[in-house]
Amino acid sequence: MSSILPRRLAPVIARPTGAPCRPFVFQRYPTNFQRSFHATPRQNKYKTVEEAKSRYRSGPFSWKAGLLFIASGIGLTFYFQNEKARMQRQRVAEMSKGVGQPKVGGPLNLIDQNGIARTDEDFRGKYRLIYFGFTHCPDICPEELDKMAGMIDLVKKKHGNVMTPIFITCDPARDTPAVMKEYLDEFHTDFVGLTGSYDEIKKTCKAHRVYFSTPPDIKPGEDYLVDHSIYFYLMDPEGDFVEALGRQHSPEAAADIINRHISDWISQGKPLRKGEAKPEA
Amino acid sequence: MGWLSGSSAPAAKEPVAPNRSQRAACWEGRDKFFNCLDKHDIIDAIAEKEKARNECRKEELEFEKACVGSWVEYFKKQRVMLKKRENMMNQLKAEGAQKIDLPKPL
Repeated sequence: MSSILPRRLAPVIARPTGAPCRPFVFQRYPTNFQRSFHATPRQNKYKTVEEAKSRYRSGPFSWKAGLLFIASGIGLTFYFQNEKARMQRQRVAEMSKGVGQPKVGGPLNLIDQNGIARTDEDFRGKYRLIYFGFTHCPDICPEELDKMAGMIDLVKKKHGNVMTPIFITCDPARDTPAVMKEYLDEFHTDFVGLTGSYDEIKKTCKAHRVYFSTPPDIKPGEDYLVDHSIYFYLMDPEGDFVEALGRQHSPEAAADIINRHISDWISQGKPLRKGEAKPEA
Repeated sequence: MGWLSGSSAPAAKEPVAPNRSQRAACWEGRDKFFNCLDKHDIIDAIAEKEKARNECRKEELEFEKACVGSWVEYFKKQRVMLKKRENMMNQLKAEGAQKIDLPKPL
């Protein structure tokens, strides 16, 4: 027995089992003289000798203590895992903030599908999910836009209308506001479709580190494809780049990532606007 | 076609993007055509144009009718690329290569 127990505890436990019961522990001090040394009367832990003995026998451990130990262990594990994931997200979210970070995004000066001029100021206060593409895209863009529509609904369900989905064309020559409107309405009515002059589009794409190439020497009416990068860009309400989501994410996985970023933003007490991207003029 | 050769032909070609049902029709035409190519062991419908035309004339015409020209070319090239990738993956698998998930670049 003594080999299992820690050395310090062993004599304490061993002593009372053999020795006769000695009452000194339980005796109250009868004189006033002694009382002056003990301002408060000593509290006896045990009412009976048997109780004290059984307490010694089981040692300081009990099933209650064990349960508490396991429960707090599980609780702490969950807490730290959760906290670790949150810190990770925060690191991603704040990577583009501060000095010395590459700037993704920035000012834009384009026209939406209703012909209204839009700048990046219009989208401030809400999260933004930006996708670059073109309406004549054969297969990837339509698939990705359907996925994006799923994300929009999932984010809306969780947080309300706190994210503006934006589609920016890389093919401004063909994608006029009217073409964009007809195209985007098929995917989701929340979409803001942006087009503009070739130079403005080029500038915007460059600011978002988006590569695109239109074939040279296109004759009017000729049919062609545009090569472009395919990522969703999540931007926070201050217009800073948060994270890029790719084709590997399902709508659910992507929406989950976005929702967590939004939750973090809200729990930090930062302002978040709800409702339309801009009141219609 | 000259400048003044009627408005209908160029107007039809005016850039209005294919809508959802047109896209679906195009993809269906593509799948039918590619199924036919599979049956006849044709991978590159551009390099083996003659063979493809002989074996899958009907499907190709339907495919070309359902899709705009640039898409037809894109899908034909994409098929070659996908087949190449599939072959390479199969070959690597046969050699006992293991697939690893690369960590997401940050």
